[in-house]
Amino acid sequence: MFRRNGRKGNYAYTVARVKAKKSLLMGEEDYSKMMMMTVPEISRYISEIGYGKEMADLAGRMSGLALLEHATYLNMAKVFSSILSSSTGELYGMVSAYLVKWDIWNLKVILRGKSYGLDAEGIREDLVPAGSLSAESLDRLIALETDDDIIANFGKMARVNFPADVLSAYKASGNLGDIEDFLDKMHYEKLIQSIDPSSRPSRLFLDYIREEVDIKNFETIFKLKAEGIIGEQVMKYIIPGGKKIDGRQLTLFANAENAESLISDISQLDFYENIKDALESNNLRDMVSGLKRYEMQKAKKFSHLYPLSVIPVIDYMIHKESEVRNIRLIARGTESGLDRDVIKGLLVI
Amino acid sequence: MAIEGDVGSGLIAIGAGLAVGLTGLGAGMAEKDVGAAAVGAITEDPTIFGKAMIFMVLPETIVIFGLVIAIMGIFVM
Repeated sequence: MFRRNGRKGNYAYTVARVKAKKSLLMGEEDYSKMMMMTVPEISRYISEIGYGKEMADLAGRMSGLALLEHATYLNMAKVFSSILSSSTGELYGMVSAYLVKWDIWNLKVILRGKSYGLDAEGIREDLVPAGSLSAESLDRLIALETDDDIIANFGKMARVNFPADVLSAYKASGNLGDIEDFLDKMHYEKLIQSIDPSSRPSRLFLDYIREEVDIKNFETIFKLKAEGIIGEQVMKYIIPGGKKIDGRQLTLFANAENAESLISDISQLDFYENIKDALESNNLRDMVSGLKRYEMQKAKKFSHLYPLSVIPVIDYMIHKESEVRNIRLIARGTESGLDRDVIKGLLVI
Repeated sequence: MAIEGDVGSGLIAIGAGLAVGLTGLGAGMAEKDVGAAAVGAITEDPTIFGKAMIFMVLPETIVIFGLVIAIMGIFVM
């Protein structure tokens, strides 16, 4: 009854903070307004509703779309870092394990940026220093010359041991995919391991993550199918640890030539309703958006089920990430003259 | 040290002490989470200080019930 130490984490404090933050996130009407604006107008609009500090800080160095994109990512990184610093105990452990995905994202951005010959500023625009590596650490990685040095230093900083076979496969093919696949698999493996399933909220979080793995695998299979890749080759990209889609189903999905023959199996999955139309019209873009929407709905539902758990925190993070993605999407779409209906279809609200 | 009074009065005093003490513990446990959430909410939005304060003191009502029982025990019974 009196076991009230800090080991369990300050759920009430952190959840109250994220709920307050969530109430300030943009709604559908904000996106509708932004779709009628030009990029400078969007920049001004978002400056007034929470992104002002980052926009002002970067305004001296950047302008236009670059300023907007960098400021939104910087804001997201600051918000996530502040959530992490305000949490304690097992909550801190779970949030930090979840945020490792941004370390992986940052390494991918740096390696890809380098391979495309981007300068340091160009790479920095897409970085989200919300994980365990600070902006300074990431700057040190950007300053390194070769990919080998970057990977080795990242391994030391983020305590990741790259297996020799992954490194040798990367060196032989020069394909960053080998490194990226290893990192994604490692992230989910570590995340699943970090969750202690002894309490109901933790078990719910574990279920949520395992369903996220299912969605990622499903997305991978259909993305590769759209490129004409099927069969055994697909299976090496599969992340282990899913909840609803077992090995037999994964093999079945991977081996099928098209989605039509799989309808009876796919219709058993929880997210079928969200992707039904996209599957019928064979529209990969809508399917990905549908899966994102399902993830957000699920996080929202879970957060109401257990308010004093890590799930409301993750729910907020997913919504914040979606907000930033939507702002960037509208700005990029407007800049490139994309039709408003197309932009609207791509938004995840 | 000599103990004055009868056994009945002593039991009433123990009951009164338990009524206040246990309700105090209950209120404290409830306020732990309410207070933490209130401080978290105020950090994000300082304008809700008044509302947060009201929620913060709500569990105190339990102690008042305990106190009423204790007073009834001592002065009415």
